[in-house]
Amino acid sequence: MEAVAQQIPLEHFLVLSAILFSLGVYGVLTRRNAVLILMSVELMLNAASINMVAFAAYAAPERAVVIGIVFAVFIITVAAAEVGLALAIILRVFRNRGTANVDEVDQLKW
Amino acid sequence: MGMTDAWLLPVLPAGAFAVLVLFGPYLPRRGDWLAIAAIFASFVLTFPIIADLTSALAEHGEEFVGAANSIPWLEVPGNLELRLGVHVDAITVVMLVVGSFVALMVQVYSLSYMRGDSRYGWYYAAMSLFAASMLALVLADNFLLLYFAWELVGLCSYLLIGHYSHLRSAAEAAKKAFITTRLGDVGLLIAIILLWRDTGTFGIQEVIAAAQAGEIRTEVLTASVVLLLLGAMGKSAQFPFHVWLPDAMEGPTPVSALIHAATMVVAGVYLVARTLPLFELVAGGPELVLAIGLFTAFLSAFLGLVMTDIKRVIAYSTINSLGLMFVALGVGAPAAAMLYLFTHAFFKALLFLGAGSVIHATERQDVNQLGGLWSKMPLTGVTFAVGAFSMAGLPFLAGFWAKDEILVGALENRVAFSFLLLSLPVTAMYMTRLFILTFLGQAREPEVAKHAHDAPLAMSVPLALLALLTLVTGLVVFDQVGRALGFPGGIGELIFLGEPEVFHFDTGVAAASSELVALGIIAGWFAWAVRPELPQRAAQAFRPIHAMLVNKYYLDDFYQAIIDRVVLAGSRVLAWFDRNVVNDTGVDGSALTTGFMGYLLKFQQTGKLPNYALAMVIGVVALALVAFTLKT
Repeated sequence: MEAVAQQIPLEHFLVLSAILFSLGVYGVLTRRNAVLILMSVELMLNAASINMVAFAAYAAPERAVVIGIVFAVFIITVAAAEVGLALAIILRVFRNRGTANVDEVDQLKW
Repeated sequence: MGMTDAWLLPVLPAGAFAVLVLFGPYLPRRGDWLAIAAIFASFVLTFPIIADLTSALAEHGEEFVGAANSIPWLEVPGNLELRLGVHVDAITVVMLVVGSFVALMVQVYSLSYMRGDSRYGWYYAAMSLFAASMLALVLADNFLLLYFAWELVGLCSYLLIGHYSHLRSAAEAAKKAFITTRLGDVGLLIAIILLWRDTGTFGIQEVIAAAQAGEIRTEVLTASVVLLLLGAMGKSAQFPFHVWLPDAMEGPTPVSALIHAATMVVAGVYLVARTLPLFELVAGGPELVLAIGLFTAFLSAFLGLVMTDIKRVIAYSTINSLGLMFVALGVGAPAAAMLYLFTHAFFKALLFLGAGSVIHATERQDVNQLGGLWSKMPLTGVTFAVGAFSMAGLPFLAGFWAKDEILVGALENRVAFSFLLLSLPVTAMYMTRLFILTFLGQAREPEVAKHAHDAPLAMSVPLALLALLTLVTGLVVFDQVGRALGFPGGIGELIFLGEPEVFHFDTGVAAASSELVALGIIAGWFAWAVRPELPQRAAQAFRPIHAMLVNKYYLDDFYQAIIDRVVLAGSRVLAWFDRNVVNDTGVDGSALTTGFMGYLLKFQQTGKLPNYALAMVIGVVALALVAFTLKT
């Protein structure tokens, strides 16, 4: 770990994470297919995970190392669960309405 | 059983009331026997109290101011202590005897009179509550308890006037009685608060003592005395509050006998008699009482001449009597007032119960439909005559002694005395008229008169007992009778020890009053029995005056006009304000505004996922920007 820290500065990880996150946001905002939106959300989650791991690596080794990595593992777990749930919802919507286009699923309003 | 146990007297009927209200329908005969037993026990218990009082009087003589017994009720440390208690002295005892005895007679009478009534049980419950509150009223040692009982008797009066609540007139009369007396009651309440503020106590004796020691500011004392008088005027049907009493005749006749003749309406007289020392401390106080009493007595006397409803005539005679009592209080002869109250309770209750007997037998109460009942109802006729001529003031009946006592008391005041003398023949005349029109002459409705008969036992016995008392109670003024009963000096000295108003019989006054009464009776006899066409001719000749009397001096119309023009007009403005400002603008307006805003805002919800996502992103970015700006 220390080798990585010496070769690549922290900023690079942060910039990578920001780019990934922005791509995720862009995907969520522009895509109309629910599955693709879900994938963009996964991108955002992974950006956050990169941040966690990077900070864990660069932070004071005696206390923060494990916490950041544990966070990343939790994010992956939660993301997996979320995907399972969201895909189930999308599947039901598709069965009911014959589409996964979110523009056409707008019944939940006044 | 002494004076300090007097609290039992109101508690017994109050307990009967509670039982009747809760379990009345399950009791045999709806529990009327329980009500009568309770009031009978109260009546019997007055005797040990009288015995105790007379022995205390014999022991302490003139220093005796009454026995009190009270328990703490409510205490705010430092500035307020309320006590609940009884105070017994001679005035109280007179009121206790009158209240419990007449209540007993009336309840026995009602056994027959009210039989078959659909609300028989409730009638007895209300009667018990009335008896309890009336006894509490006269026993109260402080103004708060007095006020409490004062309102309770008003409530019972309301309930019992409106007993035939399916009749609109009865409901209206009950409302009128309640509201009219309320007007005065507000005055009484303010007076009590004013007196409490300056003395820090509600105790009647303490307040009087403080006033006599000069601890109450003059203007406060004046105001509270006037307001106190207002309360008494409302309850005792003094001008200009008297209008409720004739209408109160819509209630069952025994109710009129008890509440609107013998007990509740004299509560005002009792209150003034009790607080008379306060009135005497205020310049013009007694004169005000005198003027009101005189005016009331004089005005009401003439109304009795033209009314045709048998109960209304008696009601106006009651107002007349109440006026006389106020006159007695005003001229500083409270013993005479209490004596009149004492005798009046018997003969007026007798008159009402007699009228009730007539109504019961004929189901008519307009004298134009009666007549010729003497031979059909001899007992009612005789007892009614005793009551009527006692009211008229025929010598040696109870009313005569009491009325003469008032006349003697008023002797000093020439104006009052002459007005009283003037009203005497009028009173005698209308009582004679009432008797003649009801019992003598030809039956105006022969079919009705043919089936009339004397009342059953439960009604006859109270009539006979009250008639007997009317014959003899006047004699208690004499020293010899008083001594035999245990209070030497007669009732006058019993009531006000050490005051200079022991009974004094003035032969001249008695002769003058007897002549005037005889004149009135003969005139009444001549006008309504010998030459029955004479009253009609007189009515024709003095048409405006007759119309004025028939319309009760247009006072009811005047009040109605005031209510219509002022009260209702003001209410209409308030109703408009309430409708338009409070309701439409305030309540409905805020609801409409909220609803309209919601209508506008609901279009924010598109249901489209990207819109929500964009809003979230913008929100997060904005929050982040704010956070960064604030941090740096």
